[in-house]
Amino acid sequence: MLIFRWKMKNIRNFCIVAHIDHGKSTLADRILELTGVIHTTNNEQVLDSMDLERERGITIKAKAVRIPYRARNGENYILNLIDTPGHVDFNYEVSRSLKACEGAVLLVDATQGVEAQTIANAYLAVDAGLEIIPVINKIDLPNAMIEETRKQIEDMLGLPGGDVLLVSGKTGAGVPELLEAIVSQIPAPKGDSSAPLSCLIFDSYYDSYRGVIPHIRIFSGTLNRGDKIQVKSTGKIFEVNEIGYFTPDLMPGEKLSAGEVGYISAVIRDVGDIHVGDTIISPEHPETPAIPGFRKAKPMVFCGIYPISTNDYPKLTAALEKFQLNDSSIVFEKETSAALGHGYRLGFLGMLHMDITLERLRREYGQELIATMPSVVYKVVTHQGEELMIDNPSKFPEPQYIDHIEEPIIQARIIVPNEHIGAVMELSKSTRGTLVAMEHPDPRRALLTYEFPLAEIITGYYDKLKSVSRGYASMDYEFIGYKPGNLVKVDILVKENQVDALSYISDRESAVSKARVLIHKLRKLIPRQLFTIPLQASINGKIVAREDIAPLRKDVLAKCYGGDITRKRKLLEKQKEGKKRMKMVGTVEVPQEAFLLLLKMEE
Amino acid sequence: MRGLYIHVPFCVKKCAYCDFYSLPDRPDLVEPYIHAVFKEATHHAGLSFQTVYLGGGTPGLLGAQGLSRLIRGLRDIFDLSRVSEATLEVNPDSTSRTLLEAARMAGINRISIGVQSLVDLELQKAGRIHTAEQAIQSILMAKKAGFHSISCDVMLGLPGQNAATLISTLKKLLDLEIQHLSLYCLSIEPDTPFSIRPPADLPSEDEQADLYAGACTLLQEKGFLHYEISNFALPGYVCLHNLNYWQGGEYLGLGPAAASHLGGKRFKNRADLESYLTNPGGFIEDEEILEIGQKTAEEAILRLRLLREGLDIGELTRRFGDDVIHPLRLRLDDLVEKELLIRSGSVYRLPDQCVLVSNPILAKVLES
Repeated sequence: MLIFRWKMKNIRNFCIVAHIDHGKSTLADRILELTGVIHTTNNEQVLDSMDLERERGITIKAKAVRIPYRARNGENYILNLIDTPGHVDFNYEVSRSLKACEGAVLLVDATQGVEAQTIANAYLAVDAGLEIIPVINKIDLPNAMIEETRKQIEDMLGLPGGDVLLVSGKTGAGVPELLEAIVSQIPAPKGDSSAPLSCLIFDSYYDSYRGVIPHIRIFSGTLNRGDKIQVKSTGKIFEVNEIGYFTPDLMPGEKLSAGEVGYISAVIRDVGDIHVGDTIISPEHPETPAIPGFRKAKPMVFCGIYPISTNDYPKLTAALEKFQLNDSSIVFEKETSAALGHGYRLGFLGMLHMDITLERLRREYGQELIATMPSVVYKVVTHQGEELMIDNPSKFPEPQYIDHIEEPIIQARIIVPNEHIGAVMELSKSTRGTLVAMEHPDPRRALLTYEFPLAEIITGYYDKLKSVSRGYASMDYEFIGYKPGNLVKVDILVKENQVDALSYISDRESAVSKARVLIHKLRKLIPRQLFTIPLQASINGKIVAREDIAPLRKDVLAKCYGGDITRKRKLLEKQKEGKKRMKMVGTVEVPQEAFLLLLKMEE
Repeated sequence: MRGLYIHVPFCVKKCAYCDFYSLPDRPDLVEPYIHAVFKEATHHAGLSFQTVYLGGGTPGLLGAQGLSRLIRGLRDIFDLSRVSEATLEVNPDSTSRTLLEAARMAGINRISIGVQSLVDLELQKAGRIHTAEQAIQSILMAKKAGFHSISCDVMLGLPGQNAATLISTLKKLLDLEIQHLSLYCLSIEPDTPFSIRPPADLPSEDEQADLYAGACTLLQEKGFLHYEISNFALPGYVCLHNLNYWQGGEYLGLGPAAASHLGGKRFKNRADLESYLTNPGGFIEDEEILEIGQKTAEEAILRLRLLREGLDIGELTRRFGDDVIHPLRLRLDDLVEKELLIRSGSVYRLPDQCVLVSNPILAKVLES
């Protein structure tokens, strides 16, 4: 088909960034509708294609849509809207998407004001050198606080309040003006179409027929169908057999030139051959530099997953391999647990990423799974000066070899209404937070900057924050490095057998009280059996908590009425089936829920 | 050995814990019901039985005449000449001298009375409509009518029950010189009033275990043999009909919801009087023919309930062959090693301390 060649000056590459639920996807839909890209939306968000995203109201994977737009100056433009994930777990992916743009629409909900992720996203956009168009959304709502929000944008983000546009993604009010602003304020891309090829992979997905489909932004050169390409970091060479753009469906064409956004297909079968953030160059110019900022996804949170029945291990392996094709940020390796048998250790970008992945594994692959408690990656420094990165508490060296342990620290920005500051500070103290700064960017709210061990964040800090602030606090965080911590490993013993999958790392101060709570919960969870089951927690071999599960006293079928033996046998068979869902720890039958207990410690 | 069971589905009032099939008292349906039983019986005409058991429901609601006619009619259809035990189940509230005498005349030689408790408050809470006094009177009445084999059902774990009340119930019954006692643990079955609104003062699992232990000691002191998990008898008064269930024997069940085991097949009539009346024995649910491994495992779990007799693996091997029995024997020996069974010679038994937690042990015997 004929592809109309666009002059670079008529291209605008932009994204929309916002705090969660500030209406990003609705605004994107309205833009697509207004420009005729789509006709009806049925209230479904076009860019969020996965069911799970729709359920959770979040965008997980970025995508891009080419939007034709005739501006009021009479000229035709191409607006490439690049969608970005809205969660802190995916900050790296966000940064790659931003890199593909020249401008960002920074969206703020008029009923909520500037939130923590608004600030985080604004910083990311500034870092990426983007032109920012501040926009206040949901102006149609009766409780919209337009002037207050405008002032927050000035004070908290340092953006000129006078330039703020007012829109309603729901009614479409202000959206035409926004489109004009995108054309007039965001600079056109720059780049030489005849220079050697350099393009950024800002996203990708796996198609079972065509392999990996990278989403690309061309910075220089021109890429034609049939061209050979080279992946900068791996050196692998592929031939482009399809090239095109998103409408949002795939629209094949002949070529893409500097400044344009689209996709390629090049029979890339191995997801390990190509990564988001990598640079595609021409094999004829291997000296072309990589676009800066590339790194492989770095998992921050790990957990073990195990099939309920050991026979299902091959099925789990197949499911994981297939899964990784669509999400190369997941890392996994084989792991064997004395308690749970053969399984895998999975690494995730964060807790949300973990929750979503496990849910999807269960749902899409029909796998029943036991997931162990999540762990961060500890840096264990031995007396010999060795640095060991350990993502599984059961792999910790014996205490006599350890000089000290360092743990990952994050810096969190928390925005909280004044009346909840006390509660948030109390909570943060109990979760080993260090207050770095407190500011009052607006009279009603405070901006608290805290440092926390990541381990505290993954064991439910966010939920607790929401709860103590009645849902009003918002938070964003970034990893800032490792710091030594006063940490100990707590082991759990069930009837004298150490259950490796229940070991956890805790700060020394709260280790014993946490152990007591855990042991107590275990006692409630493990059903009485034919013998006494001592449950113990130990630190460095010393028992710090103990409770016993008394033996079962009564489990008997009494009356056999009129000889209904079949029913009796079926009752026993049902009991037998129930036991199959338990994991054997020595001679003790332990329900799967036990392995998730630490997560739910505070309930 | 073959037993005949007749399920009479009428009750004056359903008890709060009961999930057996029963309907409100319907005198108008007695006649059609008896006819239907005869019709179902003719499918098996000519079979001979050694035990008969009329249970329910409340068989007494058939009335003296209905009862006599039912038994007479069954004599015409089956060979009942070699019956050594014929039991009638009665409830204290619907026992009368006429009924008992008619039963005696018809050939009934054993009475099983649903006493449950001799504490009025416990009876009320369980939704029973009789009083302790009525229960005592019905025992005396049965004796007067000439019955020498009397069994009483007592429930363990009733709301409000404690060691003192249970022991007093048992002692009063023993003073009345009964020959057999069934001590059933109350179980909360789905869709019963007790499961919908569980009583607050149900004894805990541990309390029930203590009640059971106390009762066992008392009954054994008084010379009762603890021959099955829930059953105690003076020597010579073991219930043959129930024993046959535990020994894997054959039996025919007539009436709605009645279960049968005939010719290697287990089957059960649908629990629905209306369909039973239109086509007696024509609506079967839960029919099964067990494959040999299941069959032997099932027989093992049944026989292990017989605490004194136990399971003789040698006898099972002779009947089914060593190839079939071998895996079962391995499971049994594993349980012996864990001290969950005891073995003497070729006989396996439940140890005393495991009787009340036999479910998980029997489930392991079933495991394959």
